[in-house]
Amino acid sequence: MEKSCSLLVHFDKGTPAIANEIKEALEGNDMPAKIDAMMKAIMLLLNGETLPQLFITIIRYVLPSEDHTIQKLLLLYLEIIEKTDAKGRVLPEMILICQNLRNNLQHPNEYIRGVTLRFLCRLKETEIIEPLIPSVLQNLEHRHPFIRRNAILAVMSIYKLPQGEQILGDAPDMIEKVLLTEQDQSAKRNAFLMLFNCAQDRAINYLLTHIERVSEWGDMLQMVVLELIRKVCRTNRGEKGKYIKIIISLLNVPSTAVIYECAGTLVSLSSAPTAIRAAANTYCQLLLSQSDNNVKLIVLDRLNELKSSHRDILVDLIMDVLRALSSPNLDIRRKTLDIVLDLITPRNINEVVLTLKKEVVKTQSGELEKNGEYRQMLIQAIHSCAIKFPEVASTVVHLLMDFLGDSNVGSAVDVIVFVREIIETNPKLRVSIITRLLDTFYQIRAARVCTCALWIIGEYCLSLSEVGSGIATIKQCLGELPFYSVSEEEEATESSKKDNQVNSITLSSKRPAILADGTYATQSAASETTFSPPTLVQGSLTSGNLRTLLLTGDFFLGAVVACTLTKLLLRLEEVQQSKVEVNKESTRALLIMVSMLQLGQSSVLPHPIDNDSYDRIVLCIRLLCNTGDEIRKIWLQSCRQSFVQMLSEKQLQETQEIKAKAQISHAQPDDLIDFYHLKSRKGMSQLELEDAVQDDLKRATGEFVKDGDDANKLSRILQLTGFSDPVYAEAYVTVHHYDIVLDVTVINRTKETLQNLCLELATMGDLKLVERPQNYTLAPESSKQIKANIKVSSTETGVIFGNIVYETSNVHERTVVVLNDIHIDIMDYISPAVCGDVAFRTMWAEFEWENKVAVNTVIQDEKDFLDHIIKSTNMKCLTAPSALDGECGFLAANLYAKSVFGEDALVNVSIEKQADGKLSGYIRIRSKTQGIALSLGDKITLKQKGGS
Amino acid sequence: MVVLAASIVSKSGKVLVSRQFVDMSRIRIEGLLAAFPKLVGTGKQHTYVETENVRYVFQPIEALYLLLVTNKQSNILEDLETLRLLSKLVPEYSFSLDEEGICKTAFELIFAFDEVISIGHKENVTVAQVKQYCEMESHEEKLHKLVLQSKINETKDIMKRKASEIDKSKIERNRGDKGGFMSLQSMGSGRIESSFSDMSISGGGGGGFGSGSGFGLSTDVESFSSKSKGRPPSSATAPPKGLGMQLGKSQRTNQFLESLKAEGEVIVEDVQPKAGQSRAAAPPPTDPITLTVEEKLNVMLKRDGGVSNFDVQGTLLLQILNEEDAHIQVQVKTGGNPGILFKTHPNMNKELFSNENILGLKDPNRPFPTGQGGDAAGVGLLKWRMQTTDESIVPLTINCWPSVSGNETYVSIEYEASSMFDLQNVVISVPLPALREAPSVRQIDGEWRYDSRNSVLEWSILLIDNSNRSGSLEFVVPPADSSVFFPISVRFSATNTFSELKVVTVIPLKGGVPPKYSQRTQLITENYQVV
Repeated sequence: MEKSCSLLVHFDKGTPAIANEIKEALEGNDMPAKIDAMMKAIMLLLNGETLPQLFITIIRYVLPSEDHTIQKLLLLYLEIIEKTDAKGRVLPEMILICQNLRNNLQHPNEYIRGVTLRFLCRLKETEIIEPLIPSVLQNLEHRHPFIRRNAILAVMSIYKLPQGEQILGDAPDMIEKVLLTEQDQSAKRNAFLMLFNCAQDRAINYLLTHIERVSEWGDMLQMVVLELIRKVCRTNRGEKGKYIKIIISLLNVPSTAVIYECAGTLVSLSSAPTAIRAAANTYCQLLLSQSDNNVKLIVLDRLNELKSSHRDILVDLIMDVLRALSSPNLDIRRKTLDIVLDLITPRNINEVVLTLKKEVVKTQSGELEKNGEYRQMLIQAIHSCAIKFPEVASTVVHLLMDFLGDSNVGSAVDVIVFVREIIETNPKLRVSIITRLLDTFYQIRAARVCTCALWIIGEYCLSLSEVGSGIATIKQCLGELPFYSVSEEEEATESSKKDNQVNSITLSSKRPAILADGTYATQSAASETTFSPPTLVQGSLTSGNLRTLLLTGDFFLGAVVACTLTKLLLRLEEVQQSKVEVNKESTRALLIMVSMLQLGQSSVLPHPIDNDSYDRIVLCIRLLCNTGDEIRKIWLQSCRQSFVQMLSEKQLQETQEIKAKAQISHAQPDDLIDFYHLKSRKGMSQLELEDAVQDDLKRATGEFVKDGDDANKLSRILQLTGFSDPVYAEAYVTVHHYDIVLDVTVINRTKETLQNLCLELATMGDLKLVERPQNYTLAPESSKQIKANIKVSSTETGVIFGNIVYETSNVHERTVVVLNDIHIDIMDYISPAVCGDVAFRTMWAEFEWENKVAVNTVIQDEKDFLDHIIKSTNMKCLTAPSALDGECGFLAANLYAKSVFGEDALVNVSIEKQADGKLSGYIRIRSKTQGIALSLGDKITLKQKGGS
Repeated sequence: MVVLAASIVSKSGKVLVSRQFVDMSRIRIEGLLAAFPKLVGTGKQHTYVETENVRYVFQPIEALYLLLVTNKQSNILEDLETLRLLSKLVPEYSFSLDEEGICKTAFELIFAFDEVISIGHKENVTVAQVKQYCEMESHEEKLHKLVLQSKINETKDIMKRKASEIDKSKIERNRGDKGGFMSLQSMGSGRIESSFSDMSISGGGGGGFGSGSGFGLSTDVESFSSKSKGRPPSSATAPPKGLGMQLGKSQRTNQFLESLKAEGEVIVEDVQPKAGQSRAAAPPPTDPITLTVEEKLNVMLKRDGGVSNFDVQGTLLLQILNEEDAHIQVQVKTGGNPGILFKTHPNMNKELFSNENILGLKDPNRPFPTGQGGDAAGVGLLKWRMQTTDESIVPLTINCWPSVSGNETYVSIEYEASSMFDLQNVVISVPLPALREAPSVRQIDGEWRYDSRNSVLEWSILLIDNSNRSGSLEFVVPPADSSVFFPISVRFSATNTFSELKVVTVIPLKGGVPPKYSQRTQLITENYQVV
């Protein structure tokens, strides 16, 4: 275990204090100067200086000081100085401080006594503590509770030392006596804590003899009682019964912290439905009564944990949990909805949906800023409810369709996606949804919603009347033809020139985007319809939303309109007997398509129609002129089929995930089974019984380090100097989360003693050395292990340079051996992670750093190449495997990873197979910081060759 | 439930102050604190971040973050409470809440953090208490220093006196040397004793004086006595030496007491009779035979009613002045209380006592021990004790009701005495939180006195009889926890006992008239507390 560090103080390197100045000030009589010098000394010590010469000065001039602040600073100083030599023995001069400590322990000032006792809690050296024990014990009976409190803690710390039981064997006895008579809450708590830690049986005994009064004790003591109960019950399951009663009685105390702890204890002790229900109820109460968001979120986490193990009990409480939606905080609402969605059953679905609907209605009336986002969340929640229980869809779908024209594009898109899914899965609702959709179509403002709605109209208008009104609605929304007149053209070109400025801005904001299917495309500014300048829109506001959108240059929408019209006409042919009518409609539709093409090629708009849309509209025109059964089948059935397939695949994926989850929770056939009852509670197996709480604490303090494979360790050995250098050095590098440990072995290869040998390290990148290097003396042909800690604060490739500097007796100049560089690999810091498509795209748009790497590889197959990249970068592929299926000669995929510091790394792979069988394309890396983009790019460049 | 560290970092991620409460390596804590600013998202409405291993609970203070690093199982409610307290403390110590200000007051902040969290556990303290703890103003230390100072002064005075006396004696010796002879033997030795014995430099001086003893001339005596005119002749001998010193000393202690009083200390000049002293205070017996019945009460009452311990211990003591009266037997009468078990001295005749209630020695030819001896009380003949949990038998019950209202705590105390006893010299001592001034007493039956040194309010009632079987006291102090006012201890005495044991007659074994005897009966409290 490394030396522990008890305090950190920021040290300004700009004003270095000289040891001599400090010494002078310490020797002087000026109190403020003395205090200042003491502080400086402590700061220098914290900064890695050792200042051995100051110790005697402090003993001589500071120790006798009467000033309280000086005495306290002195204790801090004693806390952080090195008290042992290299072999772990206490330095002889430390005995000098004993007398002073003893005087402090008998000081008339109770606070001096208290802080000294507190200092003893942090002291580990038995040799220093031993002579002080009688004074410590005297303080146990001091009149002042402040002293007693700290004295008890000091006794506890001393007793917990490795030799504690020898030097203070009767401590539990004494503390037990103290506990019986103690009145001060805090001292009582400390005494109980001491018994709990050092003599558990006595603590239990005390608890059981005072079982009736537990609920009257102070909350601090109650907390420790609960901790004790948890610990006892974990090791000794059979005794649970005795304690459950205590916990139940504590559930009614006024302190919420105790209540919260009680609930946690109950859950950890028992899986009986009553206990779990009581705990869950308590959590729900806290959820409602506490106004603090932190508490709410953490309580929700607890409920979430309960949900995974005791779902059936929480199902009953679903309405209580839902009440947390009243909080205005979005995170809380999201978490609440997540929990609730997992808990819905056929029995409570109606109630839940009713509440959700009410909440949706509320968002319309209120004028809160986050309402749009909240509404989106609610819509998504209702959506997933409706998928699980299709019967509720009918009750909500109409309500939700009111939001199609919502100004929040996100929620409108969610609604339309929801409608699309419902109309397929719920054939009964088709007619009413279509009617409603046609009625409200004119309200839709956003292009993305329009396209989706048009698709629905094209696919699901089946009867004659529906088809008719579908065509009529589209026509109405497009307005009068043509889209522009020649006279208008003149004017428009002028105005568009005027607006060149504006447009150039929008054009400059043009940036590559990733489409939903993962292809990498250039996104034109025009598709950001809502932001485009309304140059041509004047007067056309009344003429329908489709026209407005088209006139801003959204030709993709035009293509969709054309396709929809084609579909509707093909269907009209089937349902309309009168050929005349069909032809009439057909010509009208053709006219619309032609005018759209005309608009696209005119100079009215700042940029002309794109090729893709043009091709599609032309295709539609050809089709209408020349229909055939083959084509009809493709247009009228295959589209629908692939949609159905998509839905079923989504469902399949979900069920698979659930299955996979269920599988994880099962034990492996060859797993060990623990029988608590068969384990002896003494000796070795105590370690195995070590509870989760302590593990948790150990993990938090970093004490809990998994022992890696030694073989694994050896594979990372780096040779730092040559074999013929006078000093040979090699290192193995261990990378922890936030730090790197270099274990350097230095071997003196000469026949001389090397003095003042020092391993000097310098770093590049976001690395920082924690400690100053020490000087060593190395005997001829001996070796030394040197450890160096390096702090890492962000994810990027770092380089560590170093020298070994030493002196020999005959040559007085220092000799320098330059070390090999050590490169720190970025892969150690990133781990695969998942994020949604939308989140990925927003991050992609936001991040400033892009690194573009051209593909250059010997791998011939696109899939193989992608797998290779995923493997070598340790990232997660977000694109669904089904989307990567098939042999089409090109591939696009998104990869994502997160660093331990919470930074995101995004990668897009777009590759195409050339005619000669080679792969070409680009890999783009984006991140918020330059470091990740660069390091990851280097890594990919290095590894992409593959083949080996 | 463990706070690993309390820290202040700047928004840019610089660690300004951090205090760790459990053992952890430097690299670990630095790593945790360095990761924190990256984990804090913006626009979130909650102030905690969880990572795989730890939880950060933080609070932005201007351009800084105050944060607690805890383990993930830690109780969030308690941690938030701690954080709230710390956030109130920071501005108390650091006037400018920026990097510079914090760095300047880093150590004060560390001291304050230490008061709030001990070994990772939260302490129940308020901002005011933390400030008080950190200021370290100790009454006792002042007192100690004062005592020390007065001792030093005293010693200095003594030194001066001695110095001047030595000077004087030197002059005298010079005179003596010049004159070549010395005073009378008796005078010389008196002088030696008076001036030198304390200073332990008697050797040389004594020798010098002694050498003069051979010359015994009356003229010299006269000349000497004329020198010490002011002194009465008798004072020339031994006694005055101590006397002079003592007077000076008592004067100085008086001064000291006065100065203490001036500083708000309440000094008890007429010390109250304590339980242990009451016996010593009894006048020396004049009757040839004295019989003392004494009962001591050890009572522990619960603050919310009920008796946790009630124990009466009684003794019958016999004291005989002269040996001729020692051949006796004592006829006693008991009250017939069934809860009381009597035990006789091993030398007593048990059957005689159990059958006839007569106390006599097993061997009737032996006399009782006589004389006043070291212990004035005489020999014990009989012991008894009674234990009960019956509340009705308790002679005095105390009811203490502290209630916080606004910025003050009202404490009303009421006593109720049972009609069995008339209690004398009742003193009820209520511990108070440390106060600068005496509490304000709103209403009282009896008298009160505040002992600021021990911070105890003493409520004394001279006599409780049928006229005042119950009474009350009400006072106001600054807000304090109700447990501060306990344990209340009570002292009193009474003239009748639980056992109602009485001596009927003293029977002389050798015949003749029954000797005169006196009988004393008292009930006193040894340890009477309400906890």
